[in-house]
Amino acid sequence: MSDTKAPAGATVASSGRRASGLPIRLEGVTKRYPGQDKPAVDAVTLELPAGRTTMFVGPSGCGKTTLLKMINRLIEPTSGKIFLGDEDVTGQDPDQLRRRIGYVIQAGGLFPHMTVGANVALVPKMLGWEKKKVAGRVDELLDLVGLDPTVYRDRYPRELSGGQQQRVGVARGLAADPPVLLMDEPFGAVDPITRQRLQDEMLRIQDELGKTIVCVTHDFDEAVKLGDKIVVFDVGARVVQHGTPEEVLSDPAEQYVADFVGAGATLKQLTLARVEDVELRQVTTATVGGDSAAAVAVARAAGDDFVVVLDQRGRPVSWPTLAELGRTTSVPGTVDARLPVVGLRSTLNDALDTMLAASQAGVVVMGNRDSLAGVLTIESVMAAIRQARAAVAG
Amino acid sequence: MWDYVLDRRGQIAQQALQHLSLVVQCVLLGTVIALLVAMAVYRSPRATALANGVSAVGLTIPAFALLGILLAPFGFGITPAVIAVTFYAALPVLRNAVVGLAGVDPSLVESARGMGMSRLATLLRVEVPLAWPVILAGVRTSTQMVMGIAAIAAYVLGPGLGGFIFTGLSRLGGANAVNSALTGTMAVVLLALVLDLLLVLAGRLTTPRGIRV
Amino acid sequence: MTAATTGRPGVDTAGAGAAADARDTAAPAKARGGWRALAVQPLLVLLGVAAYLVWRATATLTETEARQLNATALWTSIREHLSLTLVAAVLVLVIAIPLGIALTRGPFRRLSPLVLAVANTGQAAPAIGLFVLLAMWLGFGFRTTVIGLVLYAALPVLRNTMVGIQQVDARLVEAGRGMGMSAAAVLFRVELPLAVPVMLAGVRTALVLLVGTATLATFIDGGGLGVLINTGITLNLNSLLVSGAVLVALLALAVDWLGRVVEHVARPKGL
Repeated sequence: MSDTKAPAGATVASSGRRASGLPIRLEGVTKRYPGQDKPAVDAVTLELPAGRTTMFVGPSGCGKTTLLKMINRLIEPTSGKIFLGDEDVTGQDPDQLRRRIGYVIQAGGLFPHMTVGANVALVPKMLGWEKKKVAGRVDELLDLVGLDPTVYRDRYPRELSGGQQQRVGVARGLAADPPVLLMDEPFGAVDPITRQRLQDEMLRIQDELGKTIVCVTHDFDEAVKLGDKIVVFDVGARVVQHGTPEEVLSDPAEQYVADFVGAGATLKQLTLARVEDVELRQVTTATVGGDSAAAVAVARAAGDDFVVVLDQRGRPVSWPTLAELGRTTSVPGTVDARLPVVGLRSTLNDALDTMLAASQAGVVVMGNRDSLAGVLTIESVMAAIRQARAAVAG
Repeated sequence: MWDYVLDRRGQIAQQALQHLSLVVQCVLLGTVIALLVAMAVYRSPRATALANGVSAVGLTIPAFALLGILLAPFGFGITPAVIAVTFYAALPVLRNAVVGLAGVDPSLVESARGMGMSRLATLLRVEVPLAWPVILAGVRTSTQMVMGIAAIAAYVLGPGLGGFIFTGLSRLGGANAVNSALTGTMAVVLLALVLDLLLVLAGRLTTPRGIRV
Repeated sequence: MTAATTGRPGVDTAGAGAAADARDTAAPAKARGGWRALAVQPLLVLLGVAAYLVWRATATLTETEARQLNATALWTSIREHLSLTLVAAVLVLVIAIPLGIALTRGPFRRLSPLVLAVANTGQAAPAIGLFVLLAMWLGFGFRTTVIGLVLYAALPVLRNTMVGIQQVDARLVEAGRGMGMSAAAVLFRVELPLAVPVMLAGVRTALVLLVGTATLATFIDGGGLGVLINTGITLNLNSLLVSGAVLVALLALAVDWLGRVVEHVARPKGL
């Protein structure tokens, strides 16, 4: 766990990401169902780069989910080959194969009769890890997905909110440190605000781990936000376009893609701009339990009219104005449930939405592992949008 | 076997009719009682729990035991048969009616009240029709169960097809013992199936079209 | 007594009104309600037993009645009744649960509607008719009675095993397979544990059915408490009749209560 509290320079360059994943290669993968004249998936050949996130998008029924499930052979391909790295896994024992591939489904798919910890521990146990190692891994993963192990390890799934369940689902998928993670509409079942947070979390985790992720979605905005690469499918899992989000947005391969991307494609360019691309305002911080007067003095000196209060682990909990803080003697630990928060890799659109939802003119930006990266103000967002518009127009 | 049935077709038809009439009348009576009780209790959680308890406990009491207990005060004849059969007929309907009425979306009740319908009108025109499929499922369960109980009731001189079964038993070794028992048993099965079919049909006809599945 | 899946204790719905975000506290509250409801039934049974004992001690009995109702004779009847019930119950579990599981597996799945239809039709047959016919075919006595009881009580267990497994969310099964659990591991660690509540409800229904149906054993020389009722009816001895009836009813209530306790305890946590 990194304990860096320094908000400055917390930007993580995408190019510098570690890649622990293996590339996936599909060669002429086909699925035919008996009694149907057209194949559900017709001879798909694709290379999915190691350590990158590839998003499968397309209308429902286009075969993208079938293709995903053929990678871990939940659905057996009728013909074609699948390679993990250089290894042909088409003929491997599917159970053994699946233990090396993480799998995350909508709403987490947690087993309701097992505790959160037991759910996460399943695959490592199947792989014969020793008890101590499994326990350590469970805590490590819960921590990674932002759930305090001591609080959540022994709870049952129904005692968790939808978003928390989905986090546990991700932790379970990552449990045995698989090189490849398959996700089937992972954030389809949660509300928009939670979805945005989960997406931010996933970007952060991927920055840290560099897995080869294949993720199915029907939400094009999600694909643009999460994907290093996007594959657009048409019926029969025909690959219409395979490229970076920028390429798909600015240069749709066919009219079909342009339609799917939507008329607002130029505006959607905005979803390409990340919070980390904009200059963040550095603010005065105070730690819960510290001396209020001292904090107010530091903030005055820096020209701030508010401070961000951090808890003992460095996580922001509230942002009182100096007047509010001045009324207390020691910095209060009250958690402001409405504190607007985004991640470094959130899009500017997300940041704007969050500000509007909280009726605030700014938003707290988190860096890695819940540490503070700075504050993003509405002025800098608007400036960035004006810039992007100008670039598109020009 | 076939000759046996042909020879006694009149008697079989008569017993079948009696069996049927005992079952149908008792189920009707039981349903009415159960519905009234359910309407009285479903809005109070405590009374609902009590009604559920009564139906659960009542259903565990063996039919032969209840018939025996009823014989003591009422003696042989049709009275204990009717009481026992009605009792068992009412319980599944009661359980389902309570569940069904409690399951009606409260916002629908509220909107009915909101447009000025009286309590009673709301109950009869909104709540009961919406709960009807569940209630009817209870009636089907009742009917199936009571068919067999009515057969036992023949032992305490109630009317019906059970008589053939007990005749077979008492004439054991006689020429027609097996035929008699078989006739009684098969006739009850057939009657049960026919009645169930009729209830399904009645369900189609009486369920509001908007909530048919 | 068929609608087994709905035979859950009525209190289950009592906690349903709790607000969604009070989930953490809603669960134990429900459990407490469950225990409270479970306490009523044994009290009822104990009260019944006490009332019966008082009556038995004070009633004036004819010679035959006294002979049939002395402690040893009564105990023999109860033991016979219980052994009929238990032997049949064990056989029902051994036969119906594996069969129910098998009927939810791959190639056999297509047979399940057929099996259910046949079993449902069979359930429409009156127990007394089934017993008499079986006895004519296989001879009178304990063995035939047990066979009849097994045939009669297997359906609820069979059906609830199938329904219990089928109602497990297909996505959970897929999640299990997707993370590399074998088909057997998914069955034993996911499907069966999640089916337990429904399966146990079926077992309880079967047990109650067995206690009740075993009263008919008297007609085919199978023994049990039904003998008291039957003798009471034929010889017009009300004390015998009522004794048999009351004791069977109390036994059924006690068995039902035991079933509920097991359901309550064995229900997987987290559901």
